[in-house]
Amino acid sequence: MDLQNLSFKQTRHLLLDKQITAVEIANYFLARTKEIDPKIKAFITITEKEIIDQAQRIDEKIKKGEKLGKLAGAVMAVKDIFLTKGIQTTSSSQVLNGYIPQYSSSIYQKLIDEDVMIIGKTNTDPFAFGASTENSGYFTTKNPWNIEMVPGGSSGGSAAAVAADLCHFALGTDTGGSIRQPSSLCGVSGIKTTYGRNSRYGITAMASSFDCPGVFARDVEDIALVTEITAGLDPHDATTCDIEVPKYTENLKKINIKGLKIGLPKEYFTGSIDPEVKEKVLNAAKEFEKQGAILVDISLPSTDLGIAVYYILIPSEISANMARYDGIRFGQSVDGAPDIVSYYMQTRGKYMEPEVKRRILIGTYALSSGYYDAYYTKAAKVRTLIKNEFVEAFKNVDVILAPCSPTPAWKIGAKVNDPLQMYLADVYTVCINVAGVPGLALPCGFNNQNLPIGFQLIGNFFEEEKLFSLGHQFQQFTDYHQKRPQL
Amino acid sequence: MKITPIIGLEVHVELKTKSKMFCNCSAEHFHVEPNTHTCPVCLGLPGALPVPNITACEWCVKLGLALGCTPNETSFFERKNYFYPDLAKGYQLTQYEKPFVINGKVKVGDQEVRINRAHMEEDTGKSVHISEYGQDLTLIDYNRCGVPLVEIVSEPDITSATMAKDYLLKMQQIIRYLGISDADIEKGSMRCEPTVNLKIEDNGEVFYTPLAEIKNVASLTGVQNAIEFEIKRQTEEFEKTREVKNSKNKTTRGWNAEKAQTFLQREKEGSADYRYFPEPDIPHMEFTPAQIEEIRISIPELPDQKIEKYKSVYSLNDYDSSVIATDQNFADIYETVVTPQNRNDKIKEFAKFVANLFLGAIKTHLNETGEELNQSKINPEYFLNLFDSVQKSEISSSAAKQVIVESYQTGTNPVEIAKDKGLIQVSDTGALEKMAQEVITANPKAVEDYKKNPMSIGFLIGQLMRLSKGSANPQMAKEILEKILNGN
Ligand SMILES: [Zn+2]
Repeated sequence: MDLQNLSFKQTRHLLLDKQITAVEIANYFLARTKEIDPKIKAFITITEKEIIDQAQRIDEKIKKGEKLGKLAGAVMAVKDIFLTKGIQTTSSSQVLNGYIPQYSSSIYQKLIDEDVMIIGKTNTDPFAFGASTENSGYFTTKNPWNIEMVPGGSSGGSAAAVAADLCHFALGTDTGGSIRQPSSLCGVSGIKTTYGRNSRYGITAMASSFDCPGVFARDVEDIALVTEITAGLDPHDATTCDIEVPKYTENLKKINIKGLKIGLPKEYFTGSIDPEVKEKVLNAAKEFEKQGAILVDISLPSTDLGIAVYYILIPSEISANMARYDGIRFGQSVDGAPDIVSYYMQTRGKYMEPEVKRRILIGTYALSSGYYDAYYTKAAKVRTLIKNEFVEAFKNVDVILAPCSPTPAWKIGAKVNDPLQMYLADVYTVCINVAGVPGLALPCGFNNQNLPIGFQLIGNFFEEEKLFSLGHQFQQFTDYHQKRPQL
Repeated sequence: MKITPIIGLEVHVELKTKSKMFCNCSAEHFHVEPNTHTCPVCLGLPGALPVPNITACEWCVKLGLALGCTPNETSFFERKNYFYPDLAKGYQLTQYEKPFVINGKVKVGDQEVRINRAHMEEDTGKSVHISEYGQDLTLIDYNRCGVPLVEIVSEPDITSATMAKDYLLKMQQIIRYLGISDADIEKGSMRCEPTVNLKIEDNGEVFYTPLAEIKNVASLTGVQNAIEFEIKRQTEEFEKTREVKNSKNKTTRGWNAEKAQTFLQREKEGSADYRYFPEPDIPHMEFTPAQIEEIRISIPELPDQKIEKYKSVYSLNDYDSSVIATDQNFADIYETVVTPQNRNDKIKEFAKFVANLFLGAIKTHLNETGEELNQSKINPEYFLNLFDSVQKSEISSSAAKQVIVESYQTGTNPVEIAKDKGLIQVSDTGALEKMAQEVITANPKAVEDYKKNPMSIGFLIGQLMRLSKGSANPQMAKEILEKILNGN
């Protein structure tokens, strides 16, 4: 049976009707991944043993008539920065090559508890530092729509795995756009939740006050289902919020588009934006208008400060977060260093990728005495300013609509020698992270080279429910999310 | 040349909470199998996040309030960045800009030491250097990593080694009263780092010597000796070099207890850059006025308050008051015996009577056995009985001391013990007169002596006491003997 074009919901029906077994589902995805992945290289680790074990357990449950988890029948790929107990977790860095965690991240565990099956761990930029997967300490993932192109990043492996139908959904993280930008470049949907909605526990930290775990899927319905399970207070993450998680899946039609005010921030449609991207994103806005929404021109004047603020604050946090990778308790380390300082320097020098070192250096500099106030303190103040602009904007509009990326996917290698150019790939996504609000990326068309284009709906704090409802309805009157690459 | 030492103390206190500061591991680490009280959080494993231990934070505030500090409206943790193998995360969580509490003061003798701040932080692991198989190895035990520490920073108001010792004793007392730590310097649950320099007045000029911070002092006498050594060393150094303090010449010195010397560990302390910044993994913390009030109410009566009470209500002297208040258990038990309602009119005599027994016979007994005073062995009623008997001259003060220890050990009423041992004084005039006659008859020589010198009556009294097997009331015995001998 060809499961490729079936949603998780449809697959689950087949499983519950006993037309197919979990082992058959697992084998189908394993076979497809083994065939397709060598072309796109989405996975660092394919978890063949685990997925079969899990599938057998599910079939056993079905046989015994035991209660099944909400995700029985679903196949999931996991960005390799989520710790998975007993399964190698590299964060796509050589520092963690061979590292087998003793514990699992909270979100991953919640999904496993709902009987999800894991197909593998996906490639990313090391520790999620990047926008294309080209910084990975292993290899570059290719865009399933055109294997000469980047999939975006950092969660490029997860986006590519979903785009190539190697799983039903995939976990990612979004620190400055790392879910929304690859969603856009790979033509899939992805949610960056409100900061504090999804637990960060057990995910290797990039910038702790920005990191937002989230999920990629073919459509919003599956995203809503997974988020309903992952979201909520986690006693292991003090920054998660004790705010009730709505039944996202039951409220997908809740928001009335008629009369809904959609803000179009002018700063997101000017400057270096690709004309085709601009056109397709504005078309998406018009689709909502056709359904009765009111488009409102708005301004988020500090947008151009976003990248600067972001690239001061995140390396600062990174410089401390990376300190634990010292080769003492886990991970790779050198032999024969004459003293402890040499041991640190040789271990970190040998196994950390160039972008990792670059960000540690920038952050260490920004936090140094004499520079701290000029950089960190000032950036923290501008951060508040940007956040307040979003809060103000949401007094006048219900939701904001904007592009995710100024361009569609670019050629592998085109920006690797120009880190600043690479940093600008985040220009339309970082402010959302700086503010901490949620953003949902959705596909909205293709350019003349058949490369996907996406847009994002941005909501106020903890308004995922609204975004899911609007995104789902958008996917009822458009079919961009149904398009598949030729592989 | 006039020399005034300027001493500030940083005191680290390990809180005895059940769990560590940022994870659920047991905070117990003394004599525990290495690396058994660890988890992803305190091992600094990838992805692990700290969740603050609220009890520890409340205890820090509690200590601050007990030291007269003001709580900050908002506090937050910061990361102090440096590399060391026993610092699992590569940074220590501490408080820098906004500690929980600031600006307090402590009375030390009749002086005051201002407290700059008390803040919350986490302990590091322990590195053990060994030689084995012909190799020098360093082993790391992370059991201590993440144990809650409160750091109390004083202003440099301490002017002598003795005052530093008294300050530490006072700190220890308060901490133990609050029940938040054993504050045991020898076991490392209380550690202190003095920073010392000197103000030197010479020929109308004033000089300040370079600051020296002294580390690794592991005992109270060590602190005192190290400071004394440092005062002497800095004086000599100044006489040689006349170097004065500047922003770059602060040094760190270690204390070698065997040689009784401090030695240079690190120069130019001013250049260390820990790149503090707010810990993003923990939201800012706020204690509401109601929460602060709740913590304030939970603070027991502290030694200073007790001493004041003993002096004003019971008229105990300074010495007795402060010795009783030194140990909370001791003071509390004393107060179960002596309450303001006891023997209304004679409360001061009673308080003094009990204080003498507690600080005399009972304390001596405790010192001999190494035990702590045990509430269940103290019956307040017995002390009242004993006091009444002494007041009525039935039992002498020295007999009281004797019987109270036995009573403490056996649980028997001390008056009963006195009866059993024949320690009840005979104050019956008839019986005493009979014994006096007997003594006079048996000792004609002594009677002759008395006639010549009335001061020699002591011998006859002694004989009478012996005859009564010590039970005669000596005052009455003297009076009756005199009456008979003087023939009236
Ligand atoms: Zn722990």
